[in-house]
Amino acid sequence: MNPVMKLLAILVPGLCLSLFYDWFTPLFYFVFLLCMTFGYGKIPLRKGLKIFALFLFLSFGFGWTAALYANDSFTGGDVLFTFGWMTLTTGGLQTGLSIMFRSLCFLMMSMMFIFTTDTTQLMMSFIHQCKLPPKFAYGIIAGYRFLPVFQHEFQLLQKAHQIRGVDRMRGIKGKMHRFQRYSIPLLANGIRKAERVAIAMESKGFTGDRNRTYYHRTYVTARDWIFFAMMVGMLGVGAFISYKLGYLKVFHKQF
Amino acid sequence: MNKMLHKRVNGDEHANGSNWRETKRPLVTIENFSFAYESLEEAVLRELDVTLYENEVTLLMGPSGSGKSTLSLCLNGLYPEAVEGETAGSIRFRGEHLQDSPAGTWSKQIGVVFQDPEAQFCMIHVADELAFTLENMAIKEQEMDEKIDEVLLLVGMEKYKHRKLHELSGGEKQKIALAAVLLLEPTLLILDEATVNLDPHATESFINLIQHIQEERQMSVFIIDHQADAWLNMTDRVLLLGKNGRLLQDASPEEMFTTYKAQVKEAGIFIPKKFSSHSFGACLYTRSSTQNRNEAKDAETVMRLEHVTYKRKTRTILKQIHMDIPKGAFISILGRNGAGKSTLLELMAGIIPPTKGKVYFQHRPLQKWKETKLRQQLGFVFQNPEHQFITDTVYDELVFSMRLNEEPREKMEATATYLLEHFQLESEKYRNPFSLSGGQKRRLSVATALDDTPDMLLFDEPTFGQDAETTARLIHTIFELREKGITIMIVTHDMDLAAISDMVYVLHEGEIAYHGAPDTLWEQEDLLRAAHLRRPLEAKYVRQKVGEIG
Amino acid sequence: MTKNWKLKEIVMLSIISVVAGVLYMFFVLFASTLRNVLTPIGLAPFSFEFVFGLWFIGSVVAMYIIRKPGAALFTGIISAGVEILAGGPGGAKVLIIGLIQGAGIETAFLLTKYNNYRLGILILSGMIAAIYSFVYQLFASGNLDLAPSVLIGMLSIRLISGALLSGVLGKWIADKLACTGVLDGYALGKEVRKKREQDAA
Repeated sequence: MNPVMKLLAILVPGLCLSLFYDWFTPLFYFVFLLCMTFGYGKIPLRKGLKIFALFLFLSFGFGWTAALYANDSFTGGDVLFTFGWMTLTTGGLQTGLSIMFRSLCFLMMSMMFIFTTDTTQLMMSFIHQCKLPPKFAYGIIAGYRFLPVFQHEFQLLQKAHQIRGVDRMRGIKGKMHRFQRYSIPLLANGIRKAERVAIAMESKGFTGDRNRTYYHRTYVTARDWIFFAMMVGMLGVGAFISYKLGYLKVFHKQF
Repeated sequence: MNKMLHKRVNGDEHANGSNWRETKRPLVTIENFSFAYESLEEAVLRELDVTLYENEVTLLMGPSGSGKSTLSLCLNGLYPEAVEGETAGSIRFRGEHLQDSPAGTWSKQIGVVFQDPEAQFCMIHVADELAFTLENMAIKEQEMDEKIDEVLLLVGMEKYKHRKLHELSGGEKQKIALAAVLLLEPTLLILDEATVNLDPHATESFINLIQHIQEERQMSVFIIDHQADAWLNMTDRVLLLGKNGRLLQDASPEEMFTTYKAQVKEAGIFIPKKFSSHSFGACLYTRSSTQNRNEAKDAETVMRLEHVTYKRKTRTILKQIHMDIPKGAFISILGRNGAGKSTLLELMAGIIPPTKGKVYFQHRPLQKWKETKLRQQLGFVFQNPEHQFITDTVYDELVFSMRLNEEPREKMEATATYLLEHFQLESEKYRNPFSLSGGQKRRLSVATALDDTPDMLLFDEPTFGQDAETTARLIHTIFELREKGITIMIVTHDMDLAAISDMVYVLHEGEIAYHGAPDTLWEQEDLLRAAHLRRPLEAKYVRQKVGEIG
Repeated sequence: MTKNWKLKEIVMLSIISVVAGVLYMFFVLFASTLRNVLTPIGLAPFSFEFVFGLWFIGSVVAMYIIRKPGAALFTGIISAGVEILAGGPGGAKVLIIGLIQGAGIETAFLLTKYNNYRLGILILSGMIAAIYSFVYQLFASGNLDLAPSVLIGMLSIRLISGALLSGVLGKWIADKLACTGVLDGYALGKEVRKKREQDAA
């Protein structure tokens, strides 16, 4: 599938989803995404579930906050319980659920994207479909390559800091110092490498202009449009059912 | 074969004193060329006059800071665009001026393999990286796979086509970098210290590959290195660059290392072992070190490892390691890449805990030590000095732990002054550690471990990627420390360093395959091969160098 | 706008974005934990606000070093992309907020025609990014639901956080980096070097 089209198929419904404030539409869409993601079979189930469990906890947090702090236009309805100064109303609960399901939708969509997209293909797709100059596309991949290098360097820094006793510095100044001690070596080394990589690329005849051929070419096919239509369409279906059931809410407006 | 014959003829002619170079066709003509970075008043390269010829292998040698790498970039036509600078004079490639051509014109004729294996690639997979070169040359898509397969076969990496670059070893990365450059089908191949960051085994394999390709493709090769030994077989001509950026000498290898030997030495460059002779100083050093070796035998144990096993996830890195380390000894840990050498050192330093077994330091288990006390008694020097730097000036770096321990001011001053002087860093006192030269960084990293007198010092590959002078100074420091009774433990690929240690341990497949004196190790043919070790060419030479500096 | 960018500048910004993107992901986890702790004592909506400025620090550093139009926007988007690819929880939404925050930083420099890189402008840029992101979240994250008093509190904390954690901290880090000498080939490094030479003279 074309990576840029896939990105669009996630961004567009993602933005639309932000408009729906009822709890049914995001729940419906979430169930749809769940079937899509795990039904598609490309995502390693175990890894997927692990990340999912972590973020279920996070989105629960989002919902919980919203339920308790919702403003007056939303906190209508019966009081469900009071505990000290905290009051949970049916209106608040609905807002909370809406936000929780919405953030779960976002999570599912980004998982769908991460696990099925190759970075190189994505950048190539940006060149071919979005007319991104090759200078940027290749420059970005060259920087992105360093992600695993940084992980390794970070571990080494941790060990070196233990040897030198950096952890023994206390207070705000110590904290600042620690932030500096990780970021400066990582960035300094990274910037030096950036310069070297750029020179190596240019010495292999890279000029950054469009006068070149491509090992990978990406195309947009009918399949991409079908996928896009399905992703947007199902959100529409969810909103429609919600409307029929009388739940639908766009911003503050109840339909 | 043809090439070798050719070379012999050259040699003979040269011996007769005739000007053999005129029979060759010039490829690159450098005339009265100077280069200065914008920031420096002093030029990095001064009035160079050199001609490189077709199908000739030239080796450029020079101490750190002599502008070797700058020259390689100038040859590639990347300056002044890549890094701003001012130039005078001219460089011509087959008669045409490099400077006048638009960017990218000459890079297709001249290929460069750089020093840092981590920083030569812009793609994630091997095939994509090689395709990147072909894309730059606008080769048709349909032809790419065939060309990629062909070049991978040439460098012997055909199995790696679909691998990710960051998973490869340093030596494998350099071979891919070479393959990417060979796809340009260059007339001139520049190797800019391409083997400096490789272990000896990978270096040898890389150099053999270059020799093979040069014979097959008949191209000019321009090698920049600070060690000539491994390249001697294929080199036609040696250029010597001085610290001031001037060309000091231009001669055949034989001539350079015999007739001009004194000049080469003065420039601070290792004479290849083939041309160096033993000196009185060397004998002296040997004797004093054997004397200590005997003393070390009856010394008490400073560190003891009991049945230490270490597992990372499910993989066993080290199994059932047992070691008794005598006080005041100088010990090397050897083994091929991934044998677990660095892991062993980290276990000894107590940075990682063993999965099973115990590590005793001064008869106490490591975990019973108070962190502060332990770090004072047990020093650790990382492979990359920059990882250890945590302050903004050289001075702060030296007094960092004394400040934490709230030592009196006088003691701090005195220790810092001593260390600054001893490690030749006085004039850099207020410099930022990151802005120092490679050798200075290495010295500072050792100095930070010596603010208190430790009982034991652990070094992870201290000579890796360092030039001859820094290496020699470091060895000298190590011997000095040992004289003071400090136990020295190093992980190294440098067999010359191993040859002068009191005792060596060889790790192989997670176990100790050998321990004892280095001299008897060199007789164990099978183990040497299995553990990717090579016999030192001339161990005594290093001692001689140390003797001179001391 | 980006014609005069050098390849090494693009690669460098990309590397800064990688470091920033990974940091951002940790900040999300950190702030989320903070929120779950703060919820029972009634301060939950503020948990993210305290550290919000950290999410634009990459853009501030990039702009301060390179000093070319578009640097902040570029870093904003790429670091968001890295945050997603590294497994950040926000998903595609992060890409949009990255763009908006980058645009916020960019605005301050646009107003001064890319001529002024003093601390005041860096602080201003952090505050504008705070406002932009706040307005966006009113709609996108459903913050419009929250009580007005809470919203005002959130905005004030975010403004302070933007000023300090991106403006001041960003400058501090970049200046430290310039001292190491690795920036000598870039606009900030050149300025630092010139100043040093003037001091010496």
